[in-house]
Amino acid sequence: MLNTATNSAAPLASAAPGYQLALQQLTDSALPTGAFAHSLGFETYIERGLVHDEGSFGVWLGAFISQQLTYSDGLAIRFLYEGVPVAELDSMLTAQLLPRQLREASIKMGTRLLEIGDEVFPSPELAAYRELVTAGRSAGHQPLAFAVVARSLGVPLPEALAAYLFAAVTSLTQNAVRAIPLGQNAGQRLLRKASDGVAAAVERVGHLTPDDFGAVSPGLEISQMRHERQRARMFMS
Amino acid sequence: MSTTAAPQVVTPPASGLGPAASPDLGPCPSPAAPNSRKLESGPSQQGAHRGAHHAAAHKPGLAASAAKSPMGELALRIEQRAGRSVAAHQYHRGALRILRPHYLDDSGQVCYVLVNPGGAYLGADLYVIDVEVGGGAKLLLTTQSATKIYRTPGSFAEQRMTLRLGEGAQLELAPDQLIAYREASYRQDTRITVRPSSSLIIAEVVTPGWSPDGSSFRYEELRLRTEIRVESGSGADSGLLALDNVLIRPSGHDVTGMAFMEGFSHLGSLIVVDPRVDQALADELHAVTEGHDAYAGVSLTSTLAGTTGLVLRSLSNSTEELNRLLSACAALLRKRWHGQDPLNLRKY
Repeated sequence: MLNTATNSAAPLASAAPGYQLALQQLTDSALPTGAFAHSLGFETYIERGLVHDEGSFGVWLGAFISQQLTYSDGLAIRFLYEGVPVAELDSMLTAQLLPRQLREASIKMGTRLLEIGDEVFPSPELAAYRELVTAGRSAGHQPLAFAVVARSLGVPLPEALAAYLFAAVTSLTQNAVRAIPLGQNAGQRLLRKASDGVAAAVERVGHLTPDDFGAVSPGLEISQMRHERQRARMFMS
Repeated sequence: MSTTAAPQVVTPPASGLGPAASPDLGPCPSPAAPNSRKLESGPSQQGAHRGAHHAAAHKPGLAASAAKSPMGELALRIEQRAGRSVAAHQYHRGALRILRPHYLDDSGQVCYVLVNPGGAYLGADLYVIDVEVGGGAKLLLTTQSATKIYRTPGSFAEQRMTLRLGEGAQLELAPDQLIAYREASYRQDTRITVRPSSSLIIAEVVTPGWSPDGSSFRYEELRLRTEIRVESGSGADSGLLALDNVLIRPSGHDVTGMAFMEGFSHLGSLIVVDPRVDQALADELHAVTEGHDAYAGVSLTSTLAGTTGLVLRSLSNSTEELNRLLSACAALLRKRWHGQDPLNLRKY
């Protein structure tokens, strides 16, 4: 007994926006940017015994979303969408990311994303940013490389922001699952909780002013700086 | 994967987020069309070798405050003459003054002490400070007492400071601690321009401002934003070296815990820019921090036109401990680079 709905194929084909699969590819944790190698400072909290389980990592992750990802990455993405030149934002990120390993992580992952983007989602804007990096005039930061690609694909800003932030959160959580270690289900619970933080951050980024750019909490920065001198470590940052 | 095989290049949609910041809020000089937006302003667009003219050197951080008449203004230009640094120009108006210059040692470095006769910053107060240290000149700038921010209901107190250092110029900025009391809001906007051979040391301590009932962090908001630009002779590798933006807003959410103040109450920062800054120095200063009762980190900025910045951030529960730590670091630099003894300011 075949009970087929005859008209289901047409609406399905056009249900998703044209950029959706591209955005999924860009934010997949398998995208080879090297995110698995960076704790962006949480390894220092593990070493101090302050991050040791699901709850304590959740506290750190919440702070990271509402500080670093909001005031630095998120705001940079919004400014790019609003037309601030990428070269200017690139130098602002280099100047603002005061912990050296954090700055290097952003540039390392950004450079990879520029390479990948150039092969799979080429655009004149991306080529222009790559040229600035090749010429040594820009560093090539991860949030900007992402924003340039997402913007060229027609991804609206709120979706681009949410996707970027959640991808960052996913990588960090996977890294925490390995490093602390946590169970896989704990990782999923953390992600579900973090999605509320991501939604709040997207909202927040829209209300910040240029003066807010780079206002990251002192505690996070100190821990990111101290990671440089940590003896045994799994992560590059 | 039909729909994404050939990604279209489309004009991005406008921000779909909530009300974006109005372009005249913040250091954005013109509410221009989105595609020509510039975020930055500040000294680099205005040339490095202007005279020390107060106020005008600094673009307003907020449109509202642009209309404010400064409560106090100070301009100071130091030049090197016959082996000694002297004031070539000084101007003050309102509630900001400087004491007679001292020479604390035989290095030629001149020491000026900044005085706020009113004793505190209040709501909507604006203070404008403009300091230029000419080529080869050496200035130590400190304050007579702590900067106290009292209640600023519905407004904020603000200090705008512009510092310009010439080639080989040396500036050590060592103010007393900043104390923000209950219901205080304060913005400190510091724009610094150095040349590749300038030497800069800034040490600053922020306290949580105890309120009458004994609890701390009762202020509304503290913003301490410091922007450091390097201007090289050729201009080719000029640019932004460091952007240090400290924002503490206890009124918004708990700032005392993990990943914010980490359970500590006081914040101390040391910023150094000098062509001799390198990783070995950062490691050495980090070792200095380990002898103190503070949670601290040290890191290098990128290198621009041959000069590098170093930022030391520290948390502790006492002003004295942070002062000791920052002084120990400054003492190491003074000795090594300038052959000077540790700073000994006997105030009052």
